Amino acid sequence: MSDARILDRGYRRYEGERSGVAGAVRSVAWHTVRSILGLGRKGRHKVFPIIVLVISFVPAVAFLALAILIGDLMQGDLRPQYWEMFGFSFVATLVFVALVAPEAIVRDRRDGMFSLYLSTPLARPSYLFAKVLAVLGTMALIVLGPPMLWLLGYTFQSQGPDGLLNWLGVMGRLLVAGLVICTVYTAVSLGVSSLTDRRAFASIAVVFVMLGASIATNVLVDVANLSQNWRVLDPLGGALEIAPRLFGDRSDESRNVSTWLVVVGNVGWTAFGAGLLVGRYRKLAAV
Amino acid sequence: MSGVVTPVRAIQLSYGIVLRQLITRGRLAALLLVGAVVAAIAIAVGASDNRTDPVETGVRLISDLGFTTLVPIVALVFASAALGDMREDGTLVYLWLRPMDRWPIAVGAWLASITLSLPLTLVPLVVSAVAVDGGSDLVRATVLAGVIGVVAYSALFVLLGLLLKNSIVWGLGYILIWEGIVAAFGSFAAKLAIRGYTRSILTSLTDINLDLGDLSLPVAVIVPLVVAAVALVLAAVRLHAMDVA
Amino acid sequence: MADWAPPAAQPDVPSSPVIDPNAMVAVDNVTKSFGDVVAVSDVTFSVGPGVTALLGPNGAGKSTLFRVMCGLTAPTSGTVRVLGADARNDRAVRGRIGLVPQQDALFDRLSAHRFVEVSAQTHGIVDADSAARRVLDLVDLDADEAKPVGAYSKGMRQRVKLAAALVHEPDLLILDEPLTGLDPVQRNRMIRLFHQLGDDGKCLLVSSHVLDEVARLGSRVLVIAQGRLAATGDYRDLRGLMDDRPHRIRVAADGARALAAALVARDLVNGVSIAVDSLMVDTNDVDRFGRHIAIVAKECGVRLREVEPTDDDLESVFRYLVERR
Repeated sequence: MSDARILDRGYRRYEGERSGVAGAVRSVAWHTVRSILGLGRKGRHKVFPIIVLVISFVPAVAFLALAILIGDLMQGDLRPQYWEMFGFSFVATLVFVALVAPEAIVRDRRDGMFSLYLSTPLARPSYLFAKVLAVLGTMALIVLGPPMLWLLGYTFQSQGPDGLLNWLGVMGRLLVAGLVICTVYTAVSLGVSSLTDRRAFASIAVVFVMLGASIATNVLVDVANLSQNWRVLDPLGGALEIAPRLFGDRSDESRNVSTWLVVVGNVGWTAFGAGLLVGRYRKLAAV
Repeated sequence: MSGVVTPVRAIQLSYGIVLRQLITRGRLAALLLVGAVVAAIAIAVGASDNRTDPVETGVRLISDLGFTTLVPIVALVFASAALGDMREDGTLVYLWLRPMDRWPIAVGAWLASITLSLPLTLVPLVVSAVAVDGGSDLVRATVLAGVIGVVAYSALFVLLGLLLKNSIVWGLGYILIWEGIVAAFGSFAAKLAIRGYTRSILTSLTDINLDLGDLSLPVAVIVPLVVAAVALVLAAVRLHAMDVA
Repeated sequence: MADWAPPAAQPDVPSSPVIDPNAMVAVDNVTKSFGDVVAVSDVTFSVGPGVTALLGPNGAGKSTLFRVMCGLTAPTSGTVRVLGADARNDRAVRGRIGLVPQQDALFDRLSAHRFVEVSAQTHGIVDADSAARRVLDLVDLDADEAKPVGAYSKGMRQRVKLAAALVHEPDLLILDEPLTGLDPVQRNRMIRLFHQLGDDGKCLLVSSHVLDEVARLGSRVLVIAQGRLAATGDYRDLRGLMDDRPHRIRVAADGARALAAALVARDLVNGVSIAVDSLMVDTNDVDRFGRHIAIVAKECGVRLREVEPTDDDLESVFRYLVERR
């Protein structure tokens, strides 16, 4: 019996298991996360993601340090509420949605990857789903990371919520609040970014829409003394307001705004962003 | 057959070329819309019966809406693209490989971006100042702060466009992170951001107190101009030393 | 016997690069690195009036070398003198250089006339309008066309670039793949224009990786491969210098087999392959072969119909210099 073998016949079709749409979505989502965090790319692509992570976690770390050092003195009004941690990472989140998130979808259109993706098992809806998943997941690091760190830190310091049920309740509310915030911001950021092929212009548009609307709303309410209900037009602050409402509280800025109006505002902004995104991609030619 | 191109002529030619390249329908329409929204908000505020002091209302509105977002971002859009786009697509060679000095190219580009930035920012802000009934002091303060702000931001961002790829994104990072966070730490840090100087001009000419705007009027005017001059010198040095195309 | 002649006895261009102090372009030991990547390595040559082709495959370093010559980038080491000056720092000499860059980008919102007129104005030409019209006519473009160059085809954009490079009548023209995108008629026209400019005393350096183009531009070449200068001079003379590679010659004759045997017996060839009425021979000493082929044929009683060198063209030279690396 001869022991001759052919070890490599060169190009052959792949006959193995295929992961299908789910695998394609996972793959695109993971690749997008790597891309927006600058992983596997040159150092300059990591600058803003690192700055965002640092800015978002610094307040949580600072308060934890204070809790460790002078925890006994930090009681009552001196100790921030759990939901207030979302507000501390507001700027980090803004920088993320303006400077980092647009990278998720703008680059594919510019480089021609969008067309290539559509030649795989992905269709437009599944492609967009993968992108939303990636941005949402990455944003959750920044939005949820600090409050979770805080909760865990306080718990280890025996300064956390009393009892397991209470603790799970706080954790659950933080998770829901974080998810809502991420959803609103993701929808608006990606929706606005879908309007242009240039990342720089996408970033500017996101800043004008999100920060501009937020500042304008604050001017109308704080400066012109109009009704606080105008704050539903603020995509940044409006989403943050969900957090205190879940804890049965209200922020000072929106004390007079009813909860259902807060919800309507957030749903409205999410629908606006999602509508822009879907509407734009439905018309986009895959060339 | 080439002749001498004097610095003044070089500035003129660079100005014309850059201006022509910067004027695009999309950019102008988008920024006009943003300015219109700012003016509309000011008109709505001016019509409100709930305001306390119109001058204070006007100063806070113009500072927050105008000098936090509108002025720096409009200047960024034009100034970073003035030479930055040419550097990235290689057309800078058509100005660089010429029998003329390099510094007029930087100056011409800066003047072109100011030409577009000033009307797109000053007009809505002056309309806003008038709409909120802030008085002639507010209008004067707005004009002066606007001019100083545009001049300084434009020079900085022209330099940025020559130094970095994706200069708009870096410029936004400067506006959001440096001016938004770092410079808000205290009055010393505020001196390291142009926003601190524009705020100081507003407070000086209207006697309304704004946080981190406590520099004297001469300082608030001169320092940004010095920053602009230094930025243009650095841009000229960069033009001379850089690889082109 | 037709279509074959022994190579020139001695080429006019020296076989090793020597800097001519009066050259219009003198490149001396130039190296250019971008970080860890060495794009141009220790290149030395000098060029005078006329058309010289810079030949090399994609990525060989042609464009980088052109950029160094124009001063668009500084060499990492070595010196470049263009018309006796350093273009990077000498304002006056920049007015005597015309460059057609490789990249496609133009000021897309300007019309062709305006683009070329601006080029003339930035060169300090007083009557820029007339100068622009003249060169646009030269490259067969309509000066009154209002359409912006952003809407032009690739070939038209290429001609706009050429016009902009010619408008100030430079002494040195550096043309990076100038014929890309041109149709055959336009190509012929441009090549004739280049020759005319060369005959007028201008120095033209034209880069290409298309051998057919280079062969039509003229016979003076600089061959660059992997960042190094592989050869300079007339490419026909270069073939004669390739003495480690046998010349391949096709001989059409009656009695090919007998002729082949005789050639082998007389040690005139390294190898022979025989067809029905022709043979392909390889020989290291093409001069000796040339002197003896007719004599040997006569001795064998064989009638020679044709003796044709098959690898004296530019492609063979190029392959030898570039592909054997």
